[in-house]
Amino acid sequence: MTQEGYNPRILGFFCHWCCYAAADSAGVSRYQYPPNVRVIRVMCTGRIDVRFILEAFRCGADGVFTGG
Amino acid sequence: MSKAGAIMVLGGGIAGVQTALDLADLGYYVYLVEKKPYIGGVMAQLDKTFPTNDCAI
Amino acid sequence: MVEAGRSPNIEILTSATLKSIKGRAGNFTAEVFQQPRYINEDLCTACGVCTMYCPRPIADVYNERLDITRATHIDFPQAIPTSYYIDPKACLRVNYQTCNLCAQTCTAGAIDFSQKPKNMKLKVGSVILAPGFGRVGHDVLEKFGYGRYQDVVTSYEFERLTCASGPTEGHLVRPSDQATPKKIAFLQCIGSRDVTCGNGYCSSVCCMYAIKEASVAKEHEPDLDISLFFMDVRTQGKGFDAARKRAEEKYGLNVIRARVPKIDQIDSKLALTWTTDDGESHSDLFDMVVLSVGLDAPEDAHAIADIAGIELNSYDFCKTSHGAPLSTTKNGIYVAGAFQGPKDIPESVTQASGVAAIASELLKEGRGSQTITVTYPDEDKALEEEEPRIGVFVCHCGVNIAGVVDVKAVRDYAASLPNVAYYEDTLYSCSQDALKAIAQKVKENRLNRVVIAACSPRTHEPLFQETLRSIGLNPALFEMANIRDQCAWVHAQEPEEATQKSKDLVRMAVAKARLLEPLAQPTVDVTQKALVLGGGAAGMTVALSIADQGFETVLVEKSKVLGGNLRKLTWTVDGQDARKILKDLVRKVEKHPKIDVMLDSELESTSGYVGNFTSTISTGGKTEMVNHGVMVIATGGKEYKPKGYCYGESRQVLTQLELEQRIAKGKSGFKTTKNVVMIQCVGSRGEDMEHCSRLCCSQAVKNALKIKELKPDANIYILYRDMRTYGFSEDLYREARQKGVRFLRYTPDNRPEVVKQARGIKVNVYDRLLGEEISIPANLVVLSTGIAPGENENLSKLLKVPLTQDGFFLEAHAKLRPVEVAVDGVYLCGLAHGPKGLEEAVSQAKAAAAKAAIPLVKGKVAVEPIVSRIDKATCIGCGICASLCPFNAIQMVKEGKRKKAETITASCKGCGICASHCPVLAISMGGFTDEEIFAQIHAFSPDGCGEGSEAEKK
Repeated sequence: MTQEGYNPRILGFFCHWCCYAAADSAGVSRYQYPPNVRVIRVMCTGRIDVRFILEAFRCGADGVFTGG
Repeated sequence: MSKAGAIMVLGGGIAGVQTALDLADLGYYVYLVEKKPYIGGVMAQLDKTFPTNDCAI
Repeated sequence: MVEAGRSPNIEILTSATLKSIKGRAGNFTAEVFQQPRYINEDLCTACGVCTMYCPRPIADVYNERLDITRATHIDFPQAIPTSYYIDPKACLRVNYQTCNLCAQTCTAGAIDFSQKPKNMKLKVGSVILAPGFGRVGHDVLEKFGYGRYQDVVTSYEFERLTCASGPTEGHLVRPSDQATPKKIAFLQCIGSRDVTCGNGYCSSVCCMYAIKEASVAKEHEPDLDISLFFMDVRTQGKGFDAARKRAEEKYGLNVIRARVPKIDQIDSKLALTWTTDDGESHSDLFDMVVLSVGLDAPEDAHAIADIAGIELNSYDFCKTSHGAPLSTTKNGIYVAGAFQGPKDIPESVTQASGVAAIASELLKEGRGSQTITVTYPDEDKALEEEEPRIGVFVCHCGVNIAGVVDVKAVRDYAASLPNVAYYEDTLYSCSQDALKAIAQKVKENRLNRVVIAACSPRTHEPLFQETLRSIGLNPALFEMANIRDQCAWVHAQEPEEATQKSKDLVRMAVAKARLLEPLAQPTVDVTQKALVLGGGAAGMTVALSIADQGFETVLVEKSKVLGGNLRKLTWTVDGQDARKILKDLVRKVEKHPKIDVMLDSELESTSGYVGNFTSTISTGGKTEMVNHGVMVIATGGKEYKPKGYCYGESRQVLTQLELEQRIAKGKSGFKTTKNVVMIQCVGSRGEDMEHCSRLCCSQAVKNALKIKELKPDANIYILYRDMRTYGFSEDLYREARQKGVRFLRYTPDNRPEVVKQARGIKVNVYDRLLGEEISIPANLVVLSTGIAPGENENLSKLLKVPLTQDGFFLEAHAKLRPVEVAVDGVYLCGLAHGPKGLEEAVSQAKAAAAKAAIPLVKGKVAVEPIVSRIDKATCIGCGICASLCPFNAIQMVKEGKRKKAETITASCKGCGICASHCPVLAISMGGFTDEEIFAQIHAFSPDGCGEGSEAEKK
């Protein structure tokens, strides 16, 4: 697997107050980053149950990103 | 003569905005008068704040 | 800020100036002049196309002229109002009737050159002045090479240079050659503590922001060498000393105590020369110099004073007194923030709330008479219970989304998703007419769930939810897909990928929307009574303010008399009679029909939550129950009792408060006094307690000057670490020096020593200038002992309000919520919060009174709908959730033989920590249920991934 061709599917769990806000901010500043992450907003990373992460992998995620 | 239920706050920096918010919560109608085209004052220009380095906006 | 933009009862008038005020307290008429923006705020979507096309470049004032913007622009993306504006001085259309490019390119049709300046007459009961501060003049900066040497910058400029959204995107470069500097110097007290520029006062904030800016710079460039030149390091705020120490250690900042008189340039470097207090001369070269400029009075201070009819102090700040810091010299006109005197954010926010309380006392008869209440139709419960009929609206946001994402393809894709009954694309879904159209479509098609694919729910969810409520749908039946901020904007070069991502996000949003349930929006009634703990200056001020705002107040005082620490004070720092202030306060409290004073009393227990507390108060063995809606902690602090320094061994060793009582008795106590030695920071700043006690430096110079009055030939020595006479107290410090009070700095590793001799006492101290230890024979040694916390542990446990490391109560947010605590409905002020002088205690007490009065005024507390819900049948009563909840919002209640967890919805913030840790999955989060999140995870996979996996069932 080459670095070039690798196109992982990543599921993100973003805290409403920090990481989600930061991701919005990145947009406002027009920072560019690869389009591989899909985001689920939660009110706090404390909401993230380990079952969510396992289920994400079962559903084909190559990586899970939690941000808070 | 009865008293008005509206209050004017001159200045839309952090102090003016906070005053306006509290007054509105206390049951008054507030005119927030700001010289500049936006509110936030100098605090909106700050990147981070001491000592916690929180974002200022 | 956003909240102010959304409140129906705050009318924001920007580009507006005050022209006149007529009338009297309670009924003023204020005349306001407003310049047009030439852009309709309601129509502008802040897309930025007009700026792209505007041909007229101007200096970007928001970025300290370090960048260029256009005549039509927005200062920063989060600005409120979130609308662009046209600078009338620069615009070609406004000045020469040409151009008009922006109006042609604005697809929202927001640009309106027909707008005219407006004159308004506003009827108001009170006027609050919060115009902030002005900038130190250029002539002052020029003395330090500013303007002559490019690499001498102001702290404002440096702030923008280190900001990610600034002109250099956070890359720290020096202006002359755009190279990254290696060595930077910060010069403090530029335009402060400097009578030569007319600013004798201390600006009170620059020490902190310099340390902050230096720390941020080090984060950007870890190899930077940074020196800060202080006269005194004035980090006297709560927790600030500890933060400074951490920064100094973590970032290796060089702290130098010296004032740099001037700056020269040698080749491309800046040469600084300075003398330290040991008499040594030093010089060094730097790549960049930052001038930590002070806060000046507002430029228009005189104009404001003339219009409002108020007096200014000698520095052109608003004239106030320590006993009534928020009142101007005119009744009905009040002041808050930096116009009252230089101050930092927490102090400004505190004063802001405090001034709201004062205006509310004045105008309580008018309260509610002019406010707008928004009402909504009843919910269509039947429709909500039907099989989900989802409407998907995909927003173009002008070209913001549609320029990258194929919006029509996303819309058509939405049509293929289950339960989607209606789909459409809209140009600007947030515009007023689009909202109306959406409401219409929802009604026509009997939709009962709405998904909007547009920008961020953080900024726009409330707006769309409002639309749902206006047509009788529960606001929880709404979901957003963020295809702008987190998609189109960040994948501008990858349209296909961005379109695919948008489809995925819409699919996930629809999957969640299918499961959304209406959430109740309960309110809780409030007992309209306040309980104030502590009968000192702060507690009495709080009680009086709440009572004057019209609410019953119970004031509980531990001792047998009212007054607290104020009883020990003779004069305030600004020379007022403290005993008169005390007498007035006590008289008003005792006379007030709405205040019930309970002396010799203490809080025994409290239960309940905001709006409905029940407390037990014990008075001399008897107990009484009080029902109240809010509570204020104003239990004070105490004078630190010194250890060592011969205190208690010699009658010639006193504390500052003891000295004050001797001074009050007059000349007789000082007849034979020749030498007085004051020792600062006894017990404070790491000797015994970690914190700085904030007020002792001003107290010491105040008392030194009093002794000089009584006994002009007395020799007075003040031994200090940093003189922290911040704000206008700096005047006293200067006066003391002029009158011959001698100041000797000591370091914590070489503290002064008090020695008892056969006859009298002497103080040994290291004299830095002489380079040797000297001995001062003293008639009086006065210890500046500072403030120790009261016995707060008990109350902290009782109320579940945490303490700081120093033993004071911890506020909810140091800057934005300085008088609130982690528990809703409980407020904080005075010495219980931290050391402070009378002026600050009074402001804070007023602030606490404003915050405490809010639930009392509303009569109801709204409960967030996204709270946790516990299924009692499933709950096994393990208590894990209750122990983890950061807001104390879960209580364990006995039901039959077992304990069960129960959410106090009024306190719950919806974080969901409880739900993710419940071993039996008994807890569900409104709007973020397990089922909803699992549905999103399944929808993450394009083929749906199947349902009911092992993990989900666990």
